[in-house]
Amino acid sequence: MTWDWSFVLKILPRLMEGVWYTILVTLASSTLALSGGLALAILESVSTTFGRAFVCFWLELFRGVPTLVLLYFTFYVLPEVGIILPAIPIGIGVLGIVYAAYCSEVYRGSLITIPSELRDACVALHLSPNVTWRRVLIPLMIKRAAPALLNYVLSLFRETAVLFALGVPVLMGQANEVGYESFRYLEPYTLAGVIYLCMNLPFLYLLSRFKDKHA
Amino acid sequence: MKAVFEYWPVLAQGLWVTIWVAVCIILGALPGAVVLAALRLSETRAIRVASMLLIELIRAPSAVVLLFWAFYALPLLPGMPRLSPLVAAILVLTLDGAAYGAEIVRAGIEAVHRGQTDACHALGVSKIQSFRKVVLPQALSQIVPGFGSLARSMIKWTAIVSFIGVQDVLYVANYVRGQTFDTLTVFCFLGAIYWILTALCGLTFRALEQLLPLNRALRAARASAHAPEIEVLTGAAQ
Repeated sequence: MTWDWSFVLKILPRLMEGVWYTILVTLASSTLALSGGLALAILESVSTTFGRAFVCFWLELFRGVPTLVLLYFTFYVLPEVGIILPAIPIGIGVLGIVYAAYCSEVYRGSLITIPSELRDACVALHLSPNVTWRRVLIPLMIKRAAPALLNYVLSLFRETAVLFALGVPVLMGQANEVGYESFRYLEPYTLAGVIYLCMNLPFLYLLSRFKDKHA
Repeated sequence: MKAVFEYWPVLAQGLWVTIWVAVCIILGALPGAVVLAALRLSETRAIRVASMLLIELIRAPSAVVLLFWAFYALPLLPGMPRLSPLVAAILVLTLDGAAYGAEIVRAGIEAVHRGQTDACHALGVSKIQSFRKVVLPQALSQIVPGFGSLARSMIKWTAIVSFIGVQDVLYVANYVRGQTFDTLTVFCFLGAIYWILTALCGLTFRALEQLLPLNRALRAARASAHAPEIEVLTGAAQ
Protein backbone atom coordinates (compact mmCIF):
# COMPACT_ATOMS: atom_id res chain seq x y z
CA MET A 1 0.00 0.00 0.00
CA THR A 2 1.44 3.36 -0.97
CA TRP A 3 0.96 6.80 0.41
CA ASP A 4 -2.07 8.53 -1.09
CA TRP A 5 -2.11 12.33 -0.85
CA SER A 6 -5.71 12.75 -2.01
CA PHE A 7 -6.83 10.46 0.83
CA VAL A 8 -4.77 12.56 3.21
CA LEU A 9 -6.58 15.72 2.09
CA LYS A 10 -9.91 13.96 2.46
CA ILE A 11 -9.36 12.88 6.04
CA LEU A 12 -7.57 16.02 7.23
CA PRO A 13 -10.76 17.92 8.22
CA ARG A 14 -11.87 15.04 10.43
CA LEU A 15 -8.49 14.79 12.08
CA MET A 16 -8.58 18.54 12.69
CA GLU A 17 -11.86 18.04 14.53
CA GLY A 18 -9.95 15.59 16.71
CA VAL A 19 -7.28 18.22 17.30
CA TRP A 20 -9.91 20.61 18.68
CA TYR A 21 -11.26 17.98 21.02
CA THR A 22 -7.72 17.15 22.15
CA ILE A 23 -7.08 20.82 22.94
CA LEU A 24 -10.42 21.15 24.72
CA VAL A 25 -9.83 18.07 26.87
CA THR A 26 -6.24 19.08 27.64
CA LEU A 27 -7.26 22.60 28.71
CA ALA A 28 -10.20 21.47 30.82
CA SER A 29 -8.42 18.65 32.60
CA SER A 30 -5.23 20.62 33.17
CA THR A 31 -7.29 23.40 34.78
CA LEU A 32 -8.84 20.78 37.02
CA ALA A 33 -5.46 19.19 37.76
CA LEU A 34 -3.64 22.44 38.52
CA SER A 35 -6.32 23.81 40.84
CA GLY A 36 -7.05 20.42 42.42
CA GLY A 37 -3.37 19.82 43.06
CA LEU A 38 -3.06 23.22 44.73
CA ALA A 39 -6.08 22.48 46.92
CA LEU A 40 -4.62 19.09 47.91
CA ALA A 41 -1.23 20.60 48.74
CA ILE A 42 -2.83 23.29 50.91
CA LEU A 43 -5.06 20.73 52.60
CA GLU A 44 -2.01 18.60 53.32
CA SER A 45 -0.18 21.57 54.80
CA VAL A 46 -2.90 23.05 57.03
CA SER A 47 -4.75 19.96 58.21
CA THR A 48 -3.96 17.51 60.96
CA THR A 49 -3.86 13.73 60.85
CA PHE A 50 -7.17 13.12 59.15
CA GLY A 51 -6.63 15.47 56.22
CA ARG A 52 -3.11 14.19 55.75
CA ALA A 53 -4.27 10.60 55.72
CA PHE A 54 -6.91 11.51 53.13
CA VAL A 55 -4.37 13.23 50.87
CA CYS A 56 -1.92 10.36 51.28
CA PHE A 57 -4.62 7.84 50.36
CA TRP A 58 -5.64 9.94 47.36
CA LEU A 59 -2.07 10.16 46.06
CA GLU A 60 -1.34 6.47 46.52
CA LEU A 61 -4.58 5.44 44.88
CA PHE A 62 -4.34 7.58 41.77
CA ARG A 63 -0.63 7.18 41.18
CA GLY A 64 -0.60 3.42 41.56
CA VAL A 65 -3.38 2.54 39.12
CA PRO A 66 -3.19 3.12 35.34
CA THR A 67 -5.36 5.90 33.96
CA LEU A 68 -6.96 3.47 31.55
CA VAL A 69 -8.23 1.28 34.39
CA LEU A 70 -9.63 4.32 36.21
CA LEU A 71 -11.30 5.46 32.99
CA TYR A 72 -12.96 2.09 32.45
CA PHE A 73 -13.92 1.96 36.11
CA THR A 74 -15.73 5.31 36.08
CA PHE A 75 -17.21 4.70 32.66
CA TYR A 76 -18.76 1.35 33.53
CA VAL A 77 -19.43 1.65 37.26
CA LEU A 78 -21.04 5.11 37.41
CA PRO A 79 -24.06 4.07 35.29
CA GLU A 80 -24.60 1.14 37.66
CA VAL A 81 -25.13 3.53 40.56
CA GLY A 82 -27.44 5.67 38.45
CA ILE A 83 -25.13 8.47 37.30
CA ILE A 84 -25.12 8.60 33.53
CA LEU A 85 -22.53 10.97 32.08
CA PRO A 86 -21.23 11.33 28.54
CA ALA A 87 -17.69 10.14 27.90
CA ILE A 88 -16.05 13.56 27.57
CA PRO A 89 -16.75 14.82 31.13
CA ILE A 90 -15.67 11.43 32.48
CA GLY A 91 -12.41 11.62 30.57
CA ILE A 92 -11.76 15.20 31.67
CA GLY A 93 -12.61 14.38 35.28
CA VAL A 94 -10.46 11.26 35.54
CA LEU A 95 -7.42 12.81 33.87
CA GLY A 96 -7.84 15.92 36.03
CA ILE A 97 -8.05 13.91 39.24
CA VAL A 98 -5.07 11.71 38.38
CA TYR A 99 -2.87 14.64 37.45
CA ALA A 100 -4.06 16.63 40.48
CA ALA A 101 -2.33 13.91 42.52
CA TYR A 102 0.93 14.41 40.61
CA CYS A 103 0.68 18.22 40.72
CA SER A 104 0.04 18.31 44.45
CA GLU A 105 3.46 16.70 44.99
CA VAL A 106 5.04 19.47 42.94
CA TYR A 107 3.22 22.17 44.91
CA ARG A 108 4.17 20.50 48.17
CA GLY A 109 7.81 20.45 47.10
CA SER A 110 7.76 24.14 46.26
CA LEU A 111 6.02 24.95 49.55
CA ILE A 112 8.84 23.24 51.45
CA THR A 113 11.47 25.36 49.69
CA ILE A 114 9.80 28.60 50.80
CA PRO A 115 11.93 29.71 53.80
CA SER A 116 10.08 29.54 57.10
CA GLU A 117 11.20 33.09 57.93
CA LEU A 118 8.66 34.28 55.40
CA ARG A 119 5.84 32.71 57.38
CA ASP A 120 7.28 34.18 60.59
CA ALA A 121 7.31 37.58 58.91
CA CYS A 122 3.65 37.17 57.98
CA VAL A 123 2.84 36.36 61.61
CA ALA A 124 4.90 39.34 62.79
CA LEU A 125 2.98 41.60 60.40
CA HIS A 126 -0.23 40.22 61.85
CA LEU A 127 -1.55 39.02 58.51
CA SER A 128 -4.50 36.69 58.78
CA PRO A 129 -3.88 33.09 57.61
CA ASN A 130 -6.22 33.72 54.71
CA VAL A 131 -4.18 36.70 53.47
CA THR A 132 -0.89 34.88 54.13
CA TRP A 133 -1.94 32.02 51.90
CA ARG A 134 -3.66 34.03 49.22
CA ARG A 135 -1.25 36.91 48.78
CA VAL A 136 2.11 35.45 49.88
CA LEU A 137 2.41 31.68 49.84
CA ILE A 138 0.26 30.61 46.89
CA PRO A 139 1.81 33.04 44.36
CA LEU A 140 5.28 31.93 45.46
CA MET A 141 4.34 28.27 45.26
CA ILE A 142 2.97 28.66 41.75
CA LYS A 143 5.98 30.62 40.58
CA ARG A 144 8.44 28.06 41.87
CA ALA A 145 6.45 25.08 40.66
CA ALA A 146 5.70 26.40 37.16
CA PRO A 147 8.31 24.47 35.11
CA ALA A 148 7.55 21.13 36.77
CA LEU A 149 3.82 21.76 36.44
CA LEU A 150 4.23 22.47 32.75
CA ASN A 151 5.96 19.12 32.42
CA TYR A 152 2.94 17.42 33.94
CA VAL A 153 0.56 19.32 31.66
CA LEU A 154 2.65 18.02 28.77
CA SER A 155 2.30 14.43 29.94
CA LEU A 156 -1.40 15.02 30.50
CA PHE A 157 -1.68 16.16 26.90
CA ARG A 158 0.14 13.03 25.74
CA GLU A 159 -2.14 10.87 27.82
CA THR A 160 -5.34 12.31 26.28
CA ALA A 161 -4.80 9.84 23.41
CA VAL A 162 -5.96 7.08 25.78
CA LEU A 163 -9.43 8.66 25.94
CA PHE A 164 -10.29 7.15 22.57
CA ALA A 165 -10.94 3.94 24.49
CA LEU A 166 -14.14 5.54 25.80
CA GLY A 167 -15.07 6.86 22.38
CA VAL A 168 -14.06 10.48 22.99
CA PRO A 169 -13.27 11.89 19.53
CA VAL A 170 -9.74 13.02 20.39
CA LEU A 171 -7.21 12.96 17.56
CA MET A 172 -6.33 9.31 18.17
CA GLY A 173 -10.02 8.35 18.22
CA GLN A 174 -10.67 10.13 14.94
CA ALA A 175 -7.65 8.49 13.30
CA ASN A 176 -8.83 5.11 14.49
CA GLU A 177 -12.34 5.67 13.18
CA VAL A 178 -11.22 6.98 9.80
CA GLY A 179 -8.88 4.04 9.39
CA TYR A 180 -11.57 1.60 10.36
CA GLU A 181 -14.13 3.04 7.94
CA SER A 182 -11.89 3.08 4.90
CA PHE A 183 -9.57 0.16 5.74
CA ARG A 184 -6.55 2.38 5.27
CA TYR A 185 -4.39 2.58 8.35
CA LEU A 186 -1.14 4.00 7.04
CA GLU A 187 -2.23 7.60 6.46
CA PRO A 188 -4.49 8.22 9.49
CA TYR A 189 -2.07 6.85 12.07
CA THR A 190 1.00 8.46 10.52
CA LEU A 191 -0.80 11.81 10.27
CA ALA A 192 -2.00 11.50 13.85
CA GLY A 193 1.56 10.86 14.99
CA VAL A 194 2.87 13.85 13.07
CA ILE A 195 0.13 16.14 14.37
CA TYR A 196 0.73 15.00 17.95
CA LEU A 197 4.42 15.69 17.37
CA CYS A 198 3.69 19.21 16.18
CA MET A 199 1.35 19.87 19.08
CA ASN A 200 4.27 19.14 21.44
CA LEU A 201 6.34 21.98 20.02
CA PRO A 202 4.71 24.87 21.94
CA PHE A 203 5.25 22.95 25.20
CA LEU A 204 8.90 22.28 24.39
CA TYR A 205 9.39 25.95 23.50
CA LEU A 206 7.88 27.09 26.79
CA LEU A 207 9.96 24.58 28.75
CA SER A 208 13.18 25.74 27.12
CA ARG A 209 12.21 29.34 27.98
CA PHE A 210 11.80 28.34 31.62
CA LYS A 211 15.14 26.56 31.54
CA ASP A 212 16.89 29.67 30.23
CA LYS A 213 15.31 31.80 32.89
CA HIS A 214 16.32 29.53 35.75
CA ALA A 215 19.78 28.58 34.53
CA MET B 1 -18.29 -11.84 43.34
CA LYS B 2 -18.09 -15.61 43.37
CA ALA B 3 -18.70 -15.74 39.65
CA VAL B 4 -15.63 -13.62 39.03
CA PHE B 5 -13.37 -15.89 41.01
CA GLU B 6 -14.47 -18.86 38.98
CA TYR B 7 -12.43 -17.26 36.23
CA TRP B 8 -9.26 -17.14 38.29
CA PRO B 9 -7.16 -19.31 35.90
CA VAL B 10 -7.69 -16.86 33.00
CA LEU B 11 -7.08 -13.91 35.27
CA ALA B 12 -3.87 -15.47 36.55
CA GLN B 13 -2.77 -16.05 32.97
CA GLY B 14 -3.48 -12.40 32.12
CA LEU B 15 -1.59 -11.28 35.18
CA TRP B 16 1.35 -13.42 34.11
CA VAL B 17 1.39 -11.75 30.67
CA THR B 18 1.27 -8.29 32.28
CA ILE B 19 4.16 -9.10 34.62
CA TRP B 20 6.14 -10.62 31.79
CA VAL B 21 5.66 -7.56 29.55
CA ALA B 22 6.50 -5.21 32.44
CA VAL B 23 9.71 -7.04 33.32
CA CYS B 24 10.76 -7.19 29.66
CA ILE B 25 10.23 -3.49 29.02
CA ILE B 26 11.89 -2.37 32.25
CA LEU B 27 14.95 -4.55 31.66
CA GLY B 28 15.02 -3.58 27.98
CA ALA B 29 14.73 0.13 28.66
CA LEU B 30 17.76 0.08 30.96
CA PRO B 31 20.50 -0.53 28.34
CA GLY B 32 18.57 1.57 25.82
CA ALA B 33 18.53 4.50 28.22
CA VAL B 34 22.26 4.18 28.92
CA VAL B 35 23.12 4.11 25.21
CA LEU B 36 20.85 7.04 24.35
CA ALA B 37 22.20 9.06 27.28
CA ALA B 38 25.79 8.34 26.21
CA LEU B 39 24.96 9.59 22.71
CA ARG B 40 23.18 12.59 24.21
CA LEU B 41 26.33 13.52 26.18
CA SER B 42 28.65 12.92 23.24
CA GLU B 43 31.29 15.55 22.50
CA THR B 44 30.35 15.71 18.82
CA ARG B 45 27.60 18.23 18.28
CA ALA B 46 25.92 16.33 15.44
CA ILE B 47 25.49 13.16 17.51
CA ARG B 48 24.19 15.19 20.43
CA VAL B 49 21.55 16.94 18.33
CA ALA B 50 20.57 13.74 16.50
CA SER B 51 20.06 11.80 19.71
CA MET B 52 18.09 14.69 21.22
CA LEU B 53 15.81 14.71 18.18
CA LEU B 54 15.41 10.94 18.39
CA ILE B 55 14.46 11.13 22.08
CA GLU B 56 11.90 13.86 21.44
CA LEU B 57 10.58 11.97 18.43
CA ILE B 58 9.91 8.89 20.55
CA ARG B 59 8.46 10.80 23.47
CA ALA B 60 6.30 13.31 21.63
CA PRO B 61 3.46 11.12 20.34
CA SER B 62 2.23 9.17 23.31
CA ALA B 63 2.84 5.44 23.62
CA VAL B 64 -0.69 4.67 22.40
CA VAL B 65 -0.14 6.42 19.08
CA LEU B 66 3.24 4.76 18.59
CA LEU B 67 1.78 1.40 19.48
CA PHE B 68 -1.04 1.67 16.93
CA TRP B 69 1.35 2.96 14.34
CA ALA B 70 3.82 0.12 14.87
CA PHE B 71 1.07 -2.49 14.83
CA TYR B 72 -1.22 -1.27 12.03
CA ALA B 73 0.72 1.16 9.85
CA LEU B 74 4.29 -0.19 9.95
CA PRO B 75 3.56 -3.52 8.14
CA LEU B 76 1.98 -1.55 5.29
CA LEU B 77 5.29 0.10 4.47
CA PRO B 78 7.31 -1.87 1.92
CA GLY B 79 9.90 -4.20 3.39
CA MET B 80 8.65 -3.96 6.95
CA PRO B 81 7.80 -7.09 8.91
CA ARG B 82 4.40 -7.77 10.41
CA LEU B 83 4.92 -7.75 14.16
CA SER B 84 2.94 -9.94 16.50
CA PRO B 85 0.98 -7.95 19.11
CA LEU B 86 3.28 -8.97 21.94
CA VAL B 87 6.46 -8.07 20.04
CA ALA B 88 5.04 -4.74 18.91
CA ALA B 89 3.95 -3.88 22.45
CA ILE B 90 7.29 -4.77 24.02
CA LEU B 91 9.24 -2.99 21.29
CA VAL B 92 7.28 0.26 21.50
CA LEU B 93 7.15 0.45 25.28
CA THR B 94 10.86 -0.38 25.54
CA LEU B 95 11.70 2.42 23.12
CA ASP B 96 9.51 4.84 25.04
CA GLY B 97 11.06 3.79 28.33
CA ALA B 98 14.56 4.14 26.90
CA ALA B 99 13.78 7.69 25.75
CA TYR B 100 12.44 8.72 29.16
CA GLY B 101 15.24 6.84 30.93
CA ALA B 102 17.91 8.54 28.83
CA GLU B 103 16.88 11.92 30.19
CA ILE B 104 17.07 10.56 33.75
CA VAL B 105 20.56 9.16 33.18
CA ARG B 106 21.71 12.37 31.49
CA ALA B 107 20.33 14.57 34.28
CA GLY B 108 21.98 12.34 36.89
CA ILE B 109 25.39 12.56 35.24
CA GLU B 110 25.09 16.30 34.62
CA ALA B 111 24.11 16.87 38.25
CA VAL B 112 27.59 15.78 39.39
CA HIS B 113 29.54 18.98 39.87
CA ARG B 114 32.01 19.80 37.10
CA GLY B 115 34.72 20.43 39.67
CA GLN B 116 34.84 16.70 40.31
CA THR B 117 35.93 15.83 36.77
CA ASP B 118 38.29 18.79 36.75
CA ALA B 119 39.87 17.55 39.96
CA CYS B 120 40.28 14.08 38.45
CA HIS B 121 41.90 15.64 35.41
CA ALA B 122 44.25 17.67 37.63
CA LEU B 123 45.18 14.52 39.55
CA GLY B 124 46.02 12.77 36.30
CA VAL B 125 43.28 10.14 36.61
CA SER B 126 42.30 8.69 33.25
CA LYS B 127 38.92 9.62 31.78
CA ILE B 128 37.43 6.15 32.09
CA GLN B 129 38.63 5.78 35.64
CA SER B 130 37.33 9.17 36.73
CA PHE B 131 33.94 8.31 35.26
CA ARG B 132 33.82 4.87 36.86
CA LYS B 133 35.19 5.73 40.29
CA VAL B 134 34.10 9.33 40.82
CA VAL B 135 31.24 10.46 38.61
CA LEU B 136 29.21 7.26 38.31
CA PRO B 137 28.83 6.48 42.04
CA GLN B 138 27.55 10.00 42.66
CA ALA B 139 25.30 9.99 39.59
CA LEU B 140 23.81 6.61 40.53
CA SER B 141 22.32 8.01 43.72
CA GLN B 142 20.20 10.26 41.48
CA ILE B 143 19.63 7.85 38.62
CA VAL B 144 18.34 4.86 40.60
CA PRO B 145 15.46 6.67 42.36
CA GLY B 146 14.53 8.35 39.06
CA PHE B 147 14.56 5.04 37.29
CA GLY B 148 12.44 3.57 40.07
CA SER B 149 9.64 6.01 39.47
CA LEU B 150 9.99 5.45 35.72
CA ALA B 151 9.66 1.70 36.27
CA ARG B 152 6.49 2.32 38.27
CA SER B 153 5.02 4.32 35.40
CA MET B 154 6.13 1.67 32.94
CA ILE B 155 4.06 -0.93 34.78
CA LYS B 156 1.10 1.38 34.29
CA TRP B 157 1.94 1.81 30.62
CA THR B 158 1.44 -1.92 30.09
CA ALA B 159 -2.32 -1.33 30.47
CA ILE B 160 -2.49 0.00 26.90
CA VAL B 161 -1.16 -3.16 25.28
CA SER B 162 -4.64 -4.69 25.42
CA PHE B 163 -5.67 -2.27 22.63
CA ILE B 164 -3.77 -4.27 20.03
CA GLY B 165 -4.90 -7.62 21.39
CA VAL B 166 -2.19 -8.67 23.82
CA GLN B 167 -4.07 -10.75 26.36
CA ASP B 168 -2.86 -9.03 29.48
CA VAL B 169 -4.79 -8.72 32.72
CA LEU B 170 -6.85 -5.76 31.48
CA TYR B 171 -7.89 -7.64 28.34
CA VAL B 172 -8.87 -10.69 30.37
CA ALA B 173 -10.72 -8.57 32.93
CA ASN B 174 -12.76 -6.97 30.16
CA TYR B 175 -13.63 -10.44 28.93
CA VAL B 176 -14.64 -11.58 32.42
CA ARG B 177 -16.74 -8.43 32.80
CA GLY B 178 -18.57 -9.32 29.60
CA GLN B 179 -19.23 -12.82 30.91
CA THR B 180 -20.31 -12.05 34.47
CA PHE B 181 -21.58 -8.44 34.29
CA ASP B 182 -19.99 -7.91 37.69
CA THR B 183 -18.25 -4.69 36.70
CA LEU B 184 -17.51 -3.39 40.19
CA THR B 185 -15.70 -6.50 41.43
CA VAL B 186 -13.71 -6.96 38.24
CA PHE B 187 -12.41 -3.42 38.14
CA CYS B 188 -11.72 -3.24 41.88
CA PHE B 189 -9.69 -6.42 41.49
CA LEU B 190 -7.91 -4.93 38.49
CA GLY B 191 -7.10 -1.70 40.32
CA ALA B 192 -5.79 -3.66 43.30
CA ILE B 193 -3.57 -5.80 41.04
CA TYR B 194 -1.96 -2.80 39.39
CA TRP B 195 -1.59 -1.02 42.71
CA ILE B 196 0.17 -4.02 44.24
CA LEU B 197 2.45 -4.39 41.22
CA THR B 198 3.55 -0.75 41.33
CA ALA B 199 4.01 -0.92 45.10
CA LEU B 200 6.19 -4.03 44.74
CA CYS B 201 8.24 -2.31 42.07
CA GLY B 202 8.70 0.70 44.36
CA LEU B 203 9.88 -1.56 47.18
CA THR B 204 12.36 -3.32 44.90
CA PHE B 205 13.93 -0.03 43.88
CA ARG B 206 14.00 1.18 47.48
CA ALA B 207 15.98 -1.96 48.32
CA LEU B 208 18.30 -1.31 45.36
CA GLU B 209 18.96 2.21 46.63
CA GLN B 210 20.33 0.75 49.84
CA LEU B 211 23.02 -1.01 47.81
CA LEU B 212 24.30 2.16 46.13
CA PRO B 213 27.96 3.00 46.81
CA LEU B 214 27.20 6.46 48.25
CA ASN B 215 24.56 5.12 50.62
CA ARG B 216 26.90 2.36 51.77
CA ALA B 217 29.65 4.89 52.38
CA LEU B 218 27.20 7.08 54.30
CA ARG B 219 26.12 4.17 56.49
CA ALA B 220 29.73 3.17 57.10
CA ALA B 221 30.53 6.77 58.09
CA ARG B 222 27.54 6.90 60.42
CA ALA B 223 28.40 3.58 62.04
CA SER B 224 31.88 4.77 62.89
CA ALA B 225 30.86 8.33 63.78
CA HIS B 226 31.63 7.77 67.44
CA ALA B 227 35.08 6.36 66.64
CA PRO B 228 38.24 8.51 66.32
CA GLU B 229 38.42 10.77 63.34
CA ILE B 230 40.92 8.71 61.37
CA GLU B 231 38.48 5.83 61.28
CA VAL B 232 35.72 8.02 59.87
CA LEU B 233 38.02 9.01 57.04
CA THR B 234 38.90 5.46 56.11
CA GLY B 235 35.25 4.46 56.44
CA ALA B 236 34.18 7.14 53.99
CA ALA B 237 36.94 6.29 51.58
CA GLN B 238 35.96 2.66 51.31
